[in-house]
Amino acid sequence: MKVKDSKFILQSRPLLEELLARLLKRYPSATILATDAKSMRYRVSRFMTSADEDDLFSSRGFVVRVSDGVHSTEYSFNLITKELLDDICREIDEAAAMAGVVLPEGITESETHAVYGSEAGQAGGLTEAEAAAEKTAAELGDLKVADGRIYFTGASNCEIDPAEVSDEEILQKLRDISGQGLSLDERILDCICGASWQWYTKLFLSKDRDLMESILWTNGQVVTAAARGQEIKTYYKGYSGLGGMECIQGMSEGVKECVDATIDLLSSEPIVPGEYTCICSPEVTGMIAHEAFGHGVEMDMFVKKRALAEKYVGEYVASPILTMHDGALAAQESGSYFFDDEGEFAHDTIVIDHGILKSGISDSRSAAALGTEPTGNGRRESYKRKTYTRMTNTYFEAGDSTPEEMIASVDYGFLLENPSSGMEDPKNWGIQCMVNIAREIKDGKLTGRVFSPIVLTGYVPDLLKSITMLGNKVELGGGGMCGKGYKEWVKVSDGGPYIKATVRLG
Amino acid sequence: MIQEILKALSDCAISRYSITETKTDSIECFFIRRKLDMKRRTDLLEYSVTVYRPFEQDGTAMLGQATVGVHPGQSEDEIKKSLTQAYHSASFVCNPAYELYAGKTDHVRSESMFAEGPQQAMKKMAAAIFENDTAEDAFVNSAEVFVVSKRKHIVNSAGVDVSFHTENINGEYVIQCVVPQDVETHHQFSYRKVDAEALAADVKESLELTRERAKAVEAPQAGSYRLILSGQNLQEVLSFYDNRSAASMVYQKYSDYAPGMAVQGEDIEGDALTIELKAVEPYSPEGIPMVDRMLMENGTLKMLQAPKRFADYLGIEPTGYYGCKSVPTGSTPFAEMKSRPYLYVTTFSDFQMDAMSGHFAGEIRLGFLYDGEKVTPVTGGSVNGDITQAQKNFVFSKERFVTANYEGPYAVAMEDVAVAG
Repeated sequence: MKVKDSKFILQSRPLLEELLARLLKRYPSATILATDAKSMRYRVSRFMTSADEDDLFSSRGFVVRVSDGVHSTEYSFNLITKELLDDICREIDEAAAMAGVVLPEGITESETHAVYGSEAGQAGGLTEAEAAAEKTAAELGDLKVADGRIYFTGASNCEIDPAEVSDEEILQKLRDISGQGLSLDERILDCICGASWQWYTKLFLSKDRDLMESILWTNGQVVTAAARGQEIKTYYKGYSGLGGMECIQGMSEGVKECVDATIDLLSSEPIVPGEYTCICSPEVTGMIAHEAFGHGVEMDMFVKKRALAEKYVGEYVASPILTMHDGALAAQESGSYFFDDEGEFAHDTIVIDHGILKSGISDSRSAAALGTEPTGNGRRESYKRKTYTRMTNTYFEAGDSTPEEMIASVDYGFLLENPSSGMEDPKNWGIQCMVNIAREIKDGKLTGRVFSPIVLTGYVPDLLKSITMLGNKVELGGGGMCGKGYKEWVKVSDGGPYIKATVRLG
Repeated sequence: MIQEILKALSDCAISRYSITETKTDSIECFFIRRKLDMKRRTDLLEYSVTVYRPFEQDGTAMLGQATVGVHPGQSEDEIKKSLTQAYHSASFVCNPAYELYAGKTDHVRSESMFAEGPQQAMKKMAAAIFENDTAEDAFVNSAEVFVVSKRKHIVNSAGVDVSFHTENINGEYVIQCVVPQDVETHHQFSYRKVDAEALAADVKESLELTRERAKAVEAPQAGSYRLILSGQNLQEVLSFYDNRSAASMVYQKYSDYAPGMAVQGEDIEGDALTIELKAVEPYSPEGIPMVDRMLMENGTLKMLQAPKRFADYLGIEPTGYYGCKSVPTGSTPFAEMKSRPYLYVTTFSDFQMDAMSGHFAGEIRLGFLYDGEKVTPVTGGSVNGDITQAQKNFVFSKERFVTANYEGPYAVAMEDVAVAG
């Protein structure tokens, strides 16, 4: 079934249309993004239970962007009534005039690329990529063009709407799984089971666009913990998808894997730092894709001259067997949507094609500044925050090897599992990934020795060019979030197949 | 709107609750080089309501709770529906019973630090960022500045009715150096007052560090090093003690901390750690009055940080959680700390202290390696340390470092920390 639209957004629409009309009388360009989002987070552990709204993913409000043609201003607010429209316009005017007051001597306001993307009035003349994205949107939703304006509505699918499942049922299921984990080994200190979902409706209005979408994603997680003195060892398994509770139906099947791995970690050793041949599990592959050439090709970084990738478009940056995608349409996962927060239709962008860097990903402002085409990657943490170029669903394509064949091909090295976090370095192509466990491989077989914790580092092209084998199945995980530096959290997914690469571990 | 929520709670026969109203006003400037690329304002009024439901399970008194957001403009019926759903959810949230914090009415009036208004505060801090941006080799690539003002009002069913004002100037900036190689470093800042002098000095130091980063080409050899960390990296290391002393960690048995415990062990070879928790807001999110408290003294834990729920579970005093600490400086001058071989890492890709495992780690973006004869800037490789071992021989600098959430030694030296080259 289709995810339902927000009544609040539907009710607010006439006022928002009126606000847009007023703004377009004052400014050459104006857009409004309205969001109604609700997210629930459930958690059961040995000692605690919770069922709360997730305040990061729950919000209801609006953001207006206006431009006088050369300068950009935004105003985020969360109360609109007919009586308040004059006040809202006044606040926007004051914000637009702010530069004259806040800028110190020697600092001026940028006078370029302030009208862009959906604001630029592309309805009458779409680029090739825009036309392709629009065609895809038409296939996925309801799209029409009338009087020079694009109208679109779309909704993702779900089988089991979490809002229709009682909290009692959700919590009991998590309680059962947690109990299952605790019962498997008395050394397990805790088995924390969580589920979360976010439903949202977004409405984007501009002179040329009237777009509405409703999306639902659902995540689940099992985390097991055991103590080795003061050190608490943990292992997790995530479940995710674009949809409802059906996305996390298999959670109980992963409990034993978590428990076994946690017990393995109790006998883990520190690794001898060095460069090793490694087989990376799909979730480690995903983190490498995300950190290595996901952040590395965010084109707002090109605008700031902060990304080395800008100079390497058209060149080999990875093994010829490697192809990488990013896009809200590239997969059906937690990072999927129909249009971005600037009203650009979602894409499936091929970032690396058989080792050659083909394209970055871009928000509309950056595309305008660079003279390129937007790729539907302009995203906000919420209506309260600014748009940046952000990843969506990022992954490497599959090859043809089985994981067993890949492990058998290693004389000495490690199988890397369970990444916890990573950090980008688009400027200098460094990569850092925290990995929970490295399983030793000797003469093509796992020895049973494990090492932890692991810091995976390296120079991105060296790492990607060292990839010699790809697994035959792509797996994506959308349980995590992505920050821009240390803030601006958005939901993404990443993944790929097992990969064989040479990696520096410490 | 608090009155509307209270009426809805009453109509729904919900007698235990807490309500938090947060009014946020911010102005935000985004710079690329010396140009303002985007300016923003936010004007938000948000409400969070937690409802509590007592019940019994197998003869044990329980208290379930659930939190929902209430949005300005929601109708009375919508609010009631939302609260009723949350109250229903709370009946399945099986946690042992506890009492809500019983407080008082107190509406704190404090003078704004933005005496000349938030726009002037923005102007001064923006000027501070660019004050030392005068060279062509190393410069401010981009910056974001947020001037944020919040008014919080907390009401609960046990008598708490407090409100107060908080202000903050935070953001980040990136320094780029183009010779001899093109590199960058990323920096964050956060101040509770308009401290243009401190921000300008921070940027100046960052410009110098980034010039050093541009000279660094080699990673240190893999091995064990006497590691020096400073500034926000030291702050991150010390976050281990904040987390391990949290009553929620202790209650769930993730931490064995207890008052009287010798946290650094019995055989401390370096400086014993003293940490004072600083109250930077008058009330916790539950309405618990925040006062300065001694968390650790000479390596001995004095207390656990506890919101009311975990205080009741553990039978200790409710204190709330603290976000700011003060640590006495050591007696070793920073220059003396660097008088024998060391690896001093100033910048990581992402330095992390894992409170569960006790490991701290990060990829080295810029470090200085002193082999006893010369200092070499290094980049690449990673640090992977274990605080349960490293804490036995902390040596803190005499010099001081201050941010919005930390006041204490500028640097620490730790023996035998593993580094991957």
